[in-house]
Amino acid sequence: MNYTIDNNSINILKNISFEVDYKETISIVGESGSGKTSLIMLIGGLEKISAGNIFFKDSEISNMTEDEISEIRRKNIGIVFQSFYLIPNYTALENVSLSLEINKLDNATQKAKEILDRFGLSNRFNNLPSQLSGGEQQRVAIARSVVMKPELILADEPTGNLDSENTENISNLLFNYIKDENASLIMVTHDNNLANLTKRKITIKDGVISENQ
Amino acid sequence: MKINDLSLYSKFAFRDLIRSYSKILSIIITLLISLFILSAILTIEDSLENELNENSKVLLGGDLEIDYNNREGDSNLIKQIENISTVSQVVEFSTMISTIEKKPNKTSFTRIKAIDQNYPLYGDVIFEPVGSLKKLNEIDNTILVNENIFKNLNLKINDIVKVQNKKFKVIGVVKVLPDIGGAFVFGDFALTGKKTLDKLELNTLGSFLNYEYKIKFDDYKNKDKKINEIKKIFKNNDKVKIQYPENSAGGIKRIIDNFSQFLSLVSISAMLIAGIGIANTLLSFINQKNSSIAVQKAIGINSGNIKTIYYLQLLFSLIFISLVAYGLSFFLVPVVDKYISDGLGLNIEASFSLTNLFIVFVVGLLVIIIFSIPTVNSIDQIKASSLFRNVFQSLQFKYSKLSISLSLLLLTILVSLFASRSSIPTYSLIYFASFFICLAVFFYVSRFIILLLRKNLLNLGISSKIAIKNITQSKSITPITVMSLGLGMTLLLTLAFVGSNFKREIAKSIPEIAPDYFFLGIQNNQKNLFKKIIIDSDKEAVMEIVPMVSAGLVKINGIDPNTYISDSNDSYWVIMNDRRVSWVNTIPKDNPILEGSWWDTSKPNKLQISLDSKVAKDFGVNIGDKFTLRIYGREIEGEVVNFRLVNYQDLSINFAMLLNPQFAENIPHEYLSTIKFKNIKSFNEVNFLDKFPSVSIIKISDYLSKVTDVLNKVFIAVSILSAVTVIIGLVVISSAIIVQGKIKIFQNLVFKILGFSKKEIIMSSIIEFIISFLSIIFFSTIFAVLASKFIIENIFQLKWLFEINIFFYVTIGVGVVTLALIIITNFRYLSPKVYPLVRNE
Ligand SMILES: Nc1ncnc2c1ncn2[C@@H]1O[C@H](COP(=O)(O)OP(=O)(O)O)[C@@H](O)[C@H]1O
Ligand SMILES: [Mg+2]
Repeated sequence: MNYTIDNNSINILKNISFEVDYKETISIVGESGSGKTSLIMLIGGLEKISAGNIFFKDSEISNMTEDEISEIRRKNIGIVFQSFYLIPNYTALENVSLSLEINKLDNATQKAKEILDRFGLSNRFNNLPSQLSGGEQQRVAIARSVVMKPELILADEPTGNLDSENTENISNLLFNYIKDENASLIMVTHDNNLANLTKRKITIKDGVISENQ
Repeated sequence: MKINDLSLYSKFAFRDLIRSYSKILSIIITLLISLFILSAILTIEDSLENELNENSKVLLGGDLEIDYNNREGDSNLIKQIENISTVSQVVEFSTMISTIEKKPNKTSFTRIKAIDQNYPLYGDVIFEPVGSLKKLNEIDNTILVNENIFKNLNLKINDIVKVQNKKFKVIGVVKVLPDIGGAFVFGDFALTGKKTLDKLELNTLGSFLNYEYKIKFDDYKNKDKKINEIKKIFKNNDKVKIQYPENSAGGIKRIIDNFSQFLSLVSISAMLIAGIGIANTLLSFINQKNSSIAVQKAIGINSGNIKTIYYLQLLFSLIFISLVAYGLSFFLVPVVDKYISDGLGLNIEASFSLTNLFIVFVVGLLVIIIFSIPTVNSIDQIKASSLFRNVFQSLQFKYSKLSISLSLLLLTILVSLFASRSSIPTYSLIYFASFFICLAVFFYVSRFIILLLRKNLLNLGISSKIAIKNITQSKSITPITVMSLGLGMTLLLTLAFVGSNFKREIAKSIPEIAPDYFFLGIQNNQKNLFKKIIIDSDKEAVMEIVPMVSAGLVKINGIDPNTYISDSNDSYWVIMNDRRVSWVNTIPKDNPILEGSWWDTSKPNKLQISLDSKVAKDFGVNIGDKFTLRIYGREIEGEVVNFRLVNYQDLSINFAMLLNPQFAENIPHEYLSTIKFKNIKSFNEVNFLDKFPSVSIIKISDYLSKVTDVLNKVFIAVSILSAVTVIIGLVVISSAIIVQGKIKIFQNLVFKILGFSKKEIIMSSIIEFIISFLSIIFFSTIFAVLASKFIIENIFQLKWLFEINIFFYVTIGVGVVTLALIIITNFRYLSPKVYPLVRNE
């Protein structure tokens, strides 16, 4: 698969090709500017590739319409961002239950409470993001991305904005969850400790895969 | 979208709205104000019309009215009606009432109703003291006068007054008459008994008499059958006109209609100006929600559904706003009731109307959708991938062919909605066309200012440079300021110009052209004595005296015009009842002939008619058409030979129809006179009436002060309403400044770091304002001059002048308020704290 922008004048990713197995965890590492974030965005269907194909299970997302990809993402893909991005005027609980509500699941609030509880936030349900610490915000954000029990979780430097204590905290929480719930994970990280927790490590250099082990 | 999706997104929308309505407060305020005005207009119009309809029988005074005009009814026929219904005879006539035992004695021109015991058939007469109404028909020569006469003539109960040659005892005061459908709106009135009337020698009153027979069916169920019987009785009697309740208040209804038409156009203007603000505020609202929307997209809500959430938020706000606006309009009804009940004697009550609420809602909905389409569509530009990069592009209005055509379609629906409700759709359409032309011009003016200033032609001080920078930057509020204030200003200036010109012309006509007095009902044999008496009291008095006879226009080319000319026709009054007609040898100097030729003296035995050109146009009459006039019960056919331009406002003697004197001189007639005294004090009304008891005197200044009073009230109401468009413009501007606030803070911070003083920054705001405002003044003045000149010269046919005072009042007034507002709104951005910006918050 290739990814270019500005009408092919800038090649960001070239001849990228790999598969992710069911329940597999992968970390993507590489220098800043090498194209890691671009790759994650493409897998999540947030940008369009310029050549090649991307499959999610048996469906090819690379030739779907925006709305079709939305539908897949809504049910099967959870995304975690470096800067958390909680909806500022929603409480922690509302941020998490939003995903459940748009999928019209019953007991949305109950389920959201359960997951927040599991992430140690039972006393933070009704706080707004501005009233939470960075680590807490990221825990809410992860809770939001996993509450639908997605088969694939994408994370772009999930601990990049956190101190070391919180980094450890978050990584435990994320990897425990993935083990318990049998999800696949693709995670971009600078942090070697974090990268070592995954089964496979893909290194990207200047838009191509330089290592895949 | 499925129903349960909709309920889900409604839930989101509702939650979002509850939490962030303060960010769209300016949308709510401007919509609320403009929908409130629309609601108020609809509610008040409805209440008035309900009052008129519900009381149509009261206003007419019966289930039916047989109008015999100036002849007494045929007693045989009246007897026949009395067999199947209750009949009340009412005779109206205009005459003078004067005091005889006061110092000094005074007189008043009065419309007197002579009533029988059956009066009123419907409704109530309000009078004092108890029992005095009944006494009118028990004791001869008794009279009830209205409050105004009672006060002006300084009367007490049981005082003696003189009517014609007879002495009357004032036994009470009448406050309200039920049957005011006719002419009682502004004038003074009095009641007397039927028997008293028989003793007055009214033969000299001629054209001022009106005999009406009001009919009430005892058994209303058989109403239609009885109406037919009555029609049959009068089948061969075309001297009689049967009036129905539906038409009883045609004149008032027409005034209300026109007035509310005009006001609803003002309200829609306010709404369209509000629309500019809606688009702008909404864009900034969505910009603030940029990251939340990106998150929603990342979670898997598609763009269409997110847009639905925003449209639903607007919808919910609108439902709330419409209900509040409509509800608030009910509080205005008592105020209006107070305002008009003095003049009209109507009492209005607000009544709920689902249709009106619906109209208010639909109009609001159309405006919101039209102005929010390009804004809400900008949600498409937001990308979930921004969440990875932490950069959010600021959004722009997004126009697509589809959304533009949809907006245009909705705009067309909105315009047609207003045009179709109006009695003269062309006027509404012209109004809308001018509105959009102005809007376009102001838009391009703002573009032009920006373009011109970018050229950097001038070498200016630092404040001016900052100002120019502000005006020309891409997020400049100049277009919004210029459009919203420009439109409001244009409307306000136009109405101010129309109002001031109108008032000036009316005021001017009092001392200059207008005579001091009208004298009505001078008999043929009194003419010379009348002239002598006037000259004796003031040698330099300017006198105009013309013959006059009452004539009904009963047929145009052989057809009864009432069958095809409706009471909504501007010139309906010409055929409504008998008109006074006159004749002259030479063309009146202020009545130029527009078409046809003056009298053909070779045909002295043929009736020739000169017609008011406006009436000719309204009725579709051509030169050579045949008019049948009924004069003293005799029908005479004549030919229309020319059209004259008649200006009724000048208050000299004006007639819709003039006849050729060779023919008309043989008709028994009386005289009408206007007098302008050199020294008005030399004329004594009371002495005059001793000699001419049957002559009626109308003092023009009294009459005019009543008219100006009414005009003033109308002018105030209109000004208040049009000022609302400016107020909405100001809300739009201040919300635009707030929207721009972030940029302003940053900019002012940079200035601060660069070492500019607050004074220089404020100066730059003022210069920025002055540049925009001067161009607004320039263009809105041009538009207002054109529009008001058109209205004054073509619709009112008066002289138009540029009212420099009004111009300064309005522009300086609006300018000061706007500048104050801009400075106040900017003030909080003046002392930015360096700290949060450095931290990139
Ligand atoms: N919209 C864009 N316009 C231009 N260059 C871009 C754009 N997005 C990404 N790039 C470039 O693509 C490369 C890869 O970026 P990114 O995927 O963010 O790298 P990483 O996440 O590995 O730091 C970088 O060189 C970056 O500058
Ligand atoms: Mg990156």
